[in-house]
Amino acid sequence: MSETSQMSETSTTSDKAGHPVRGQSRSIVKLSGIAKTFYRGSEPIQVLDGLDLDVPDGSFEALMGPSGSGKSTLLNIIAGLDRPTGGTVIVADADLTRMSDGQLAKWRSQTIGFVFQSFNLIPVLTAAQNVELPLLLTSLSRSQRAKHVATAMRIVGLEDRMHHYPRQLSGGQEQRVAIARAIVNDPKIIVADEPTGDLDRKSADDVLTLMERLNKEMNKTIFMVTHDPAAAERAGVRRKLDKGALQ
Amino acid sequence: MNLATYARANLFRRRGRAILTVMAVTVAVLIFCLIRTAVVAWNAGADEAATDRLSTRHKVSITMSLPKRYIDEIRQVPDVKAATWASWFGAKDPKERIPFFAGFAVDHESWFDVLDEMKVPADQLATWKQTPDGAILGDLLARNLGVKVGDRLVITSDIYPGDWPLTVVGIYTPLRKTADRNTLVFRWDHVNNDPRAVYSRDKIGWMVSRITDSVHSADISRKIDAKFEEHDDQTLTMSERAFQLSFLGGFTAVLGAFDLVSLVILLIMTLILANTIAMSVRERTHEYGVLRAIGFPPGHILGFILGEALLIALVGGLVGVALVIGVINHGLGPFMEENMTGFFPYFRAPASVLLLALGASVGLGVVAGAIPAVLASRLKVTDALRRVD
Repeated sequence: MSETSQMSETSTTSDKAGHPVRGQSRSIVKLSGIAKTFYRGSEPIQVLDGLDLDVPDGSFEALMGPSGSGKSTLLNIIAGLDRPTGGTVIVADADLTRMSDGQLAKWRSQTIGFVFQSFNLIPVLTAAQNVELPLLLTSLSRSQRAKHVATAMRIVGLEDRMHHYPRQLSGGQEQRVAIARAIVNDPKIIVADEPTGDLDRKSADDVLTLMERLNKEMNKTIFMVTHDPAAAERAGVRRKLDKGALQ
Repeated sequence: MNLATYARANLFRRRGRAILTVMAVTVAVLIFCLIRTAVVAWNAGADEAATDRLSTRHKVSITMSLPKRYIDEIRQVPDVKAATWASWFGAKDPKERIPFFAGFAVDHESWFDVLDEMKVPADQLATWKQTPDGAILGDLLARNLGVKVGDRLVITSDIYPGDWPLTVVGIYTPLRKTADRNTLVFRWDHVNNDPRAVYSRDKIGWMVSRITDSVHSADISRKIDAKFEEHDDQTLTMSERAFQLSFLGGFTAVLGAFDLVSLVILLIMTLILANTIAMSVRERTHEYGVLRAIGFPPGHILGFILGEALLIALVGGLVGVALVIGVINHGLGPFMEENMTGFFPYFRAPASVLLLALGASVGLGVVAGAIPAVLASRLKVTDALRRVD
C-alpha cells in the first residue's frame, strides 16, 4: 500500500464540512428495510425496525443515539459481522445477506477496516505485527507485507513505534496502531465503534484528525458510532438512531 | 511474521501456567515411560527368546520333575538338533551379599551348546567338564559376589540342606543384551550324586531342545508331548517365549495393572492440558472475535488453538523424553540392571517407548485442544466481541 495508491483519481465533491463525497449518486452502503430482532429467552426484542440507510462513497458519517438504540447492531450489520432478520444489505456492491460465513469473512478482510473502542490489539504481538495481521490473509510476500505495514505506520505517525508492544504505548498510540491495522489492507470502508471512548480529549482529537485525513486524503468512507458530540462534530454527516429508527 | 508467530507468542503468554502445564506433561511422559520400560524390560527375556528352542516341562506344573531318561527320548525326536536339561536349585548366598539370583543344576555337556547366547571361554568350559563341583557364573553375579575363576564359593539352597561348596571354573558373558547376567549354573550330576538329593535322584526340572525349523515348532512340540503321552509323567512342550512367560505367572496381572496405570497417566495429562487450553481460550475469546472480525476464518482460530495445545504437548513431550533418556537410560537403568538383574536384565527405555510417549503427548495435546478450539471457532463474531474476561 502506498499513500498515493489510496488516493482516488475520480473527481469528488465536498459536503459542508469539506469532506469529499464522490459520486453523490453512488451509495457504498445501501440498507433497505433492515430489521433485527434479538430474543431474551422467548421474548423478542426488536432492535432495528424497517431501517433504510444510504451512505455515499467517500463520506464520513457519525451515528449517535442513546444506549440500546441499535447503533452497534447497525454497525455490525454494515460491517458483515451480523445478519439482519429482514431487509437487504448492499455494501461495496456486495449483497451481504446472500453470503455464507466464509464469504463474509473474506469480504470483510478485503473491504472493511475495523476500529474498536478498546483498541483490541493483540498484546503478545508488536505494533508492526498487529498491523500485519490482516495481510496474513493475503497472498503478499513477506517483504511486500513489510512495506505495507511501514506505510500504514507512517500514515498514523508511529513509524518509530513499530517494534513496541501495546503495553509500551499510550492509549492514543494504541488506537493509532489499531487504525493502521484497519487501513493496511486498503479497505473501502472503515467502521469505528466509539473510537474515542477510551481516550482523553487530546488523544481523541489526534485520532479524529487522523480519521479526517483518511477520509479527505485517501477517500476512505468512514462510518463511526459515537456517544461523543465533539467526535460527531468532526464527521461530515451526523445521524441519530433512536428506538431502532433513524431520526 | 506468519500465522505460527501468533500461536507461538501465545504459548508463554501466561508463563507460570504454561510452565506448569509443560511440567505436567513432562512428568506424565516420564512416568509413562518408566512404567512402559518396566513392562518391556520384564517381558524382554520372553520377547527376545530364541524361536528355534522349545522348553518341555511336566504337564501338571513346572514344580514337578521329570525322569532324567526323557532327555534321551527327546533327542530321538525328528527335527530336534540338540537337547539339554536343568533343575531349579533354589540357590542362596549364605552371606546374603545379594538378595536373589537364579541357580540351576544343569547338564555340563550340553547346556552352553543349546543356550548359546551365553559365551564361556573354551578353556573354562573344558575345565568345567573336568570339575564335578565346578560352577559357572554370570559376569555380573561374579562381580557382586566378589569371586573370580579359581575361587571357592559356598551356596545354600531352599530345597537341599546344608552348604554346597563349589569351585568357580568359569564366568559367562551374554551375547544378547537381555540375557540374564546374574545366573549361577553348576553340574547336575554333582547334585544328583549327593546323598542330600536322594529324593530327586535321576530327576530333572525341565528340558530345552533346539529344533531344525522354528516354523514347525508347534508340530515338533506336539511330537515331543506325544512321545510321553502314555508315560506316568506327561509333558507340556512350548516355545521358549511361552515358557518364560509362564514363569511370570501372577506377575502378568501386575503388568496388566501397570498398563492400565500408564493409560490413566495419559488421561490425567490430557485433562490437565485440556484445562489449560480451555482457560486460555476463555481468556482470549474477545481476541478471537477481533481476529474473526478482521477476516480470519473459523479454521484459522481452530488452527491457532490446536497449534498452541500441540506446542505445549510437544515441548512437554520432548522435555519428558530427554528426561527419560537421562534419568532412566543413564541413571535408573544401569542401577536396576546392576541390582535387579534377575528381574530386569536390561532396563532401558527403548526407542519404541520414547516414540510412543512423544506421539501420545502430541496426539493427546490435539485431543485436549479440540473441544475448546471447535467451540471458539464456532462462536458468533459479535458474541465473541462482547465477551470480556
